[in-house]
Amino acid sequence: MSQPILEVHGLAKLYGTTPVFSGVELKVGPGEGVQIIGRNGVGKSTLIKTLAGLIAPTSGQSLVFGQESRWLKSGERRVGVLAHQSMLYPNLSARENLEFYAELYSIPSPSECASQWLERVGLEAAADKRVRTFSRGMEQRLAIARAMFAEPDLLLLDEPFAALDGDGVAMVTGLIKEAIARGRAVLITAHAPMELGGLRFEMLELVRGRLAPYGEEGRHARLRSLSAG
Amino acid sequence: MSGFGAILRKDLKLEMRTGDSTITLIALSMLILVVLVLAFNPAEGRTGDLAAGALWVALIFAGMLGSSRALVAERDNSCILGLLLSPIDCAQIYAAKLAAAFIFMMVAEAAAVILLMLFFNLEFGMKLALLAPPVILGALGVAAVSTLLATIASRTRAGDLLLPVLVVPIFVPALIAGVKASAAALSGATMAELLGWIRLLIAFDVLFVAAGYLLFDYVVVED
Repeated sequence: MSQPILEVHGLAKLYGTTPVFSGVELKVGPGEGVQIIGRNGVGKSTLIKTLAGLIAPTSGQSLVFGQESRWLKSGERRVGVLAHQSMLYPNLSARENLEFYAELYSIPSPSECASQWLERVGLEAAADKRVRTFSRGMEQRLAIARAMFAEPDLLLLDEPFAALDGDGVAMVTGLIKEAIARGRAVLITAHAPMELGGLRFEMLELVRGRLAPYGEEGRHARLRSLSAG
Repeated sequence: MSGFGAILRKDLKLEMRTGDSTITLIALSMLILVVLVLAFNPAEGRTGDLAAGALWVALIFAGMLGSSRALVAERDNSCILGLLLSPIDCAQIYAAKLAAAFIFMMVAEAAAVILLMLFFNLEFGMKLALLAPPVILGALGVAAVSTLLATIASRTRAGDLLLPVLVVPIFVPALIAGVKASAAALSGATMAELLGWIRLLIAFDVLFVAAGYLLFDYVVVED
């Protein structure tokens, strides 16, 4: 088997004494996808940010190509993240936002790259409008473009279908399929299992801070609460 | 340093579009100067000392506000996370935020110095030229300390309220040097007489710019 792009060992996060998740073990290789299902407030977003190295874990390791994600050197950061916050500047236009990020990634032609991605996410007509005037769905489309334009090896997408209409869902599904076909590793979170146009994603569930195969942990948790009751 | 240039250009573009930081800083500096002019009558003598004190009160408050404002753009929509995920060094992010805060402050300080000269009836001449080094070095020092500490403060529940509590005690050595150098400059001292204080300001700036450059990586990520 080729080297996994994302490898997670015993990852745990506590806020004070309150555990968010613990003992997380995960491996995602090139061209593989994982879907993590969980209810509101279960810790999916914190898990995504911890995997990306944006939040320091309490213990354990999140490795991207064998390097701790928290301490990836500038040239090794090949992780695209879609979070609940769009990471877009409200007072810049959609085009200016993408051009700015393209400059940070040293993309040779930021303007061309921005135009290409605005078209891909269906925002070419709103390219020169400021992001603060966007609807939630438009902002989500642009945030997806921001996460994916640099073609990162690892994509961590926190509820990528949130606020999207039918066309938007089809567009994002197409982009995820394309990323998988190009050998990227994709991890997405959702409230309920998502149909991804025939793609076979490993299904996991985050319940009470534990990551387990989908259905299993939830069933155990329900049984435990029944027996306790 | 392409990341540095891109972030600084973006910050200046946002500032020119909204004017949020510079207008607030100029208004704050003016307010402080007016209050101090009304409280201490400049006609009663010791004009240099009073003017220097007033200028540095304006500078330190404008500095804290300016650094905090420079980080606000990154807090909206968690844009700071987008910068952290990009393939640029955290040190470049710090340097760009410091440069933006310094530019906003210098615009506000230029306005404050002009008002100071008018309110305290000071001459626009050699005194103004001698005032420039301590004010520029002081602004850089405040911006360096405030940018680093505003990043830490922004992660706490107290947020901006915590910033003055953290910045002012650390800035005291530079504040003393800056006030003394400015008072001497405005009282007609020579450059040679200011040199000791200016050296202290340079040492402070080197120390805190280096500290920010090296430590930003550790303070910017959430625990």
